[in-house]
Amino acid sequence: MSLNRDRADTAFTFKGGMLPMTVMELASGDPERIRAQLAGKVSQAPAFFQHTPVVLGVEQLDEPHLALERICAVCRAHKLLPVAVRGGSDPIKQSAWALGLGWFPPQESRPRAVDTRPVEAAVEAELPVPPPEATVQAGGRIHRGTVRSGQQISASEGDLVVIGAVNPGAEVLAAGSVHVYGSLRGRALAGIHGDREAGIFCHDLHAELLSVAGTYKRLEDIDPKMLGCSVQVQLKEDQLRISALT
Amino acid sequence: MAKIIVVTSGKGGVGKTTSAAAIATGLALRGNKTVVIDFDVGLRNLDLIMGCERRVVYDLVNVIQGEAGLKQAMIRDKRSENLHILPASQTRDKDALTLEGVEKVLMDLSEEFDYIICDSPAGIERGAQLALYFADEAVVVTNPEVSSVRDSDRILGLLSSKSRRAEQNRDPIKEHLLVTRYNPNRVDDGDMLNLEDIREILAIDLVGLIPESEAVLRASNQGVPVIHDDKSDAGQAYADTVSRLMGEDVPLRFQSVQKRGLIARMFGGGGRR
Repeated sequence: MSLNRDRADTAFTFKGGMLPMTVMELASGDPERIRAQLAGKVSQAPAFFQHTPVVLGVEQLDEPHLALERICAVCRAHKLLPVAVRGGSDPIKQSAWALGLGWFPPQESRPRAVDTRPVEAAVEAELPVPPPEATVQAGGRIHRGTVRSGQQISASEGDLVVIGAVNPGAEVLAAGSVHVYGSLRGRALAGIHGDREAGIFCHDLHAELLSVAGTYKRLEDIDPKMLGCSVQVQLKEDQLRISALT
Repeated sequence: MAKIIVVTSGKGGVGKTTSAAAIATGLALRGNKTVVIDFDVGLRNLDLIMGCERRVVYDLVNVIQGEAGLKQAMIRDKRSENLHILPASQTRDKDALTLEGVEKVLMDLSEEFDYIICDSPAGIERGAQLALYFADEAVVVTNPEVSSVRDSDRILGLLSSKSRRAEQNRDPIKEHLLVTRYNPNRVDDGDMLNLEDIREILAIDLVGLIPESEAVLRASNQGVPVIHDDKSDAGQAYADTVSRLMGEDVPLRFQSVQKRGLIARMFGGGGRR
């Protein structure tokens, strides 16, 4: 056993990780119906369909067999990347494996995320337990790279994490919180469906607009002392409060 | 196969056509077979900058609509036999361009040339999108002012989403930043954005820095691309830019205020002209 990750000559180390993942809960196994609905969704939110990895949830389907290959082809044609299947009968599990997809047990019988720790711990003893509130909600999104003027990046569920700058004239939105690891020079809107607990977290504040659950501040309203600082923005007593991250 | 380079900016009047003419000429002077295409249908300018306006018979729209062949429409440059110009039509508008037509022209040119330079119109509409759609590389021309930087940022977004490379999921367009009309004195005075601010926002590689220069206006009006004026600072800066586009490592010049000696000041000559 060589799990010693300090050794420079190891080709890899195993690490436990919690990644946000979109689950596509299928209510129908008919590829044509899925295609029709996806086509509509793509026109609504083209930004979401950028080779986004998805898990196909098939628990709600009763059929023991599924045209999995055709469903995957439909997904790929709309720039969704099926990476695994969750639930379903044994034949479905077998065909998922045959297609090079992973298989997860159905949601109900799956142990809670925190309980999976012993499995991960066996691989990586030092892995810290992620505090529950720090995990990205289901449906959250990570965007890597600069968000440029005129671009809009949104997470319709969960948090949005931007690894890069948000430039003037760009807009980032999330149902949950917005995190920007770079300069925030554009508009950031958190809690777009009304989540008042959401916040905005960024390095180097120069935002044109900050909004949490509809309450907003323009650049002109922001205390100039805060500009250029690492800050968090939260809704307190119907007011946006901007405080330094220390 | 030719390398297709689009010269674009979003904003108008920043020096796209001047830069396209200078870069195309520079590449040709280095022995590359080069063609420069004016995509600004309806507002044709490239022929003036290249000094071939009296020799235009057919144009890009004629070729796309099958009214003329490529050989008939292309104009050979007077000064460099490696360089050809494909002018735009002045009497039509940008709707006369079709995606299939542009693709066919570029594919045909690709057989014969090493470099195809596409001089994009300003804006982000059809003309600009067609000019960048087939590009392998992009030169994003930016002036040291906030509005130009924002428009360049917008164009960079289009380059990474609305191009053929993006749609086919191939390697992205290689993006280069070309800062033009840079005046170190005014940067020091705080009138202009400095180079580092521009680079930080746009976050792409710098391919050239062209100082604000009288030589550029003179060259435009004479119809001689400024790169031919190898005594001028702008001409030298464009030559450096061409070297970098060809993959050479050239140190950056003209970034800071040039200290002029007493004699140079007395006679008023030197680098600034």
